[in-house]
Amino acid sequence: MIIDWYTIIFQIINFMVLVFLLRHFLYGPIIEAMDEREDKIVQREEDAALRKREAMEESRAYRRKAEELQERRDEIMEKARVDAEEKKREMLREARSDLQRTKELWEEDFERERDTFVRELRRRIGEGACAIARRCLSDLADVYLEELTWAQFLAELGSLSEESLGRFRDAVVSSDYAITLRSVFGVEETALDELAAKLRELLPEVGEQIRLTAEVDPDLICGLELESGGHRVGWSIDDYLDGLEERILREMHEWTTGAEVPDDGGTEE
Amino acid sequence: MRKVTINPDEIILFQWAWFKVNATIFFTWLVMFLLTFGSWLVTRNLTSRGTLSRWQNLLEVLVNGINDQIREVSRQDPGPYLAFVGTLFIFIATSNIIAVVPGYTPPTSSLSTTAALAICVFIAVPVFGIARRGLGNYLRQYVQPTYIMLPFNVIGELSRTLALAVRLYGNMMSGTVIVAILLTITPLIFPVVMQVLGLLTGLIQAYIFAILAMVYIASASRAHESLENKGEK
Repeated sequence: MIIDWYTIIFQIINFMVLVFLLRHFLYGPIIEAMDEREDKIVQREEDAALRKREAMEESRAYRRKAEELQERRDEIMEKARVDAEEKKREMLREARSDLQRTKELWEEDFERERDTFVRELRRRIGEGACAIARRCLSDLADVYLEELTWAQFLAELGSLSEESLGRFRDAVVSSDYAITLRSVFGVEETALDELAAKLRELLPEVGEQIRLTAEVDPDLICGLELESGGHRVGWSIDDYLDGLEERILREMHEWTTGAEVPDDGGTEE
Repeated sequence: MRKVTINPDEIILFQWAWFKVNATIFFTWLVMFLLTFGSWLVTRNLTSRGTLSRWQNLLEVLVNGINDQIREVSRQDPGPYLAFVGTLFIFIATSNIIAVVPGYTPPTSSLSTTAALAICVFIAVPVFGIARRGLGNYLRQYVQPTYIMLPFNVIGELSRTLALAVRLYGNMMSGTVIVAILLTITPLIFPVVMQVLGLLTGLIQAYIFAILAMVYIASASRAHESLENKGEK
């Protein structure tokens, strides 16, 4: 018998079992894995498309920005140029004002130095002149400068105008009758008494109340001076020296301006 | 003349009361075990990302190929038919390929096996048809175009099942027989060529069997669809 029904039934059952087994062990897992992979690929492609879109957007935005920058470049450059010009002008102004300030300071210093120098020069010249005069008088005429000065001083007092005397009188009254005698050399008591007598004679209204004091003042150089309440009456070498000082200053000025002009021009530029 | 046993049903390997295990059943079990165990080995650690293992790749190509064939023939989603048609193909193909192993007799060279498979197809056609179109719609196709055609349709259904069984059996049995005969005439080289030819024939038969099964199943549902579409128009 070619057909065995027993085997046929067995084989049908076997086949059914095999269908079930393969469905469970083969088709199910394989199809699942393939579907999963397909989903992932689709997902990745979607992601990639999204990223690409984003990148395109971004690149467009950057391009737009670059164009804007390009457009604004000239504007920015112009502004920078103006700013730089302004800054330069400001710095130049500052530098000039600094220079001016320095110059002024220097000029002040110079003035001060010059004054000090002139004063010193004047004093020394005065002293020198006095010393020469004193020596000449002593050696050649056997007279003393101080004595001559004192005598001349008294004479000068005597020859004061009424107006000058009036002013001095007022000053004496306002200073409570205190009068100071300033001299470059010490004055003896007798000389003071002589002066007091002379003053009493010249100022009879206040003569008795006068309080005379003597002071040594090296700045006077050669001469005498009466001071009371800020008012002074006297004689010294100063008047002679004033002319000399004026001449020295003029010459110094000529000398300095002559040397400084080109320098000033240079720094100004 | 020596009698050559060509029917593996007659080779009884084990018997206990009415329960007997013949060569056909035994080798069927062997093939079933190989297929199931092999599938389990590969699919227990499937991956859906990165590099695929060689075996996973092979199985994916196989399953995908079957799917494509089903889709091509039926023009339908292959999902519901894959297990049945795929198993037909894989089982027959494996049974036939292992035929090169000496001592192995392919179960498909037994008419009982091919008849069993044909009966399965015979049952599957209405099962799939009814599942898809409903009982009424399925039965109506037997009286198309007129009631006179009913007996012819039924005969056609039966005859194609018989043809399915005999075709596979004939081819496989003949392969075995031809090799057996050739061994007695030219024992060297020539049988090897025939074995190689047998491999090709075995694969073609597996393909034909599965495709025909699919065609029958597909026609059972497609015919209705076209009829219904006509009726609707």
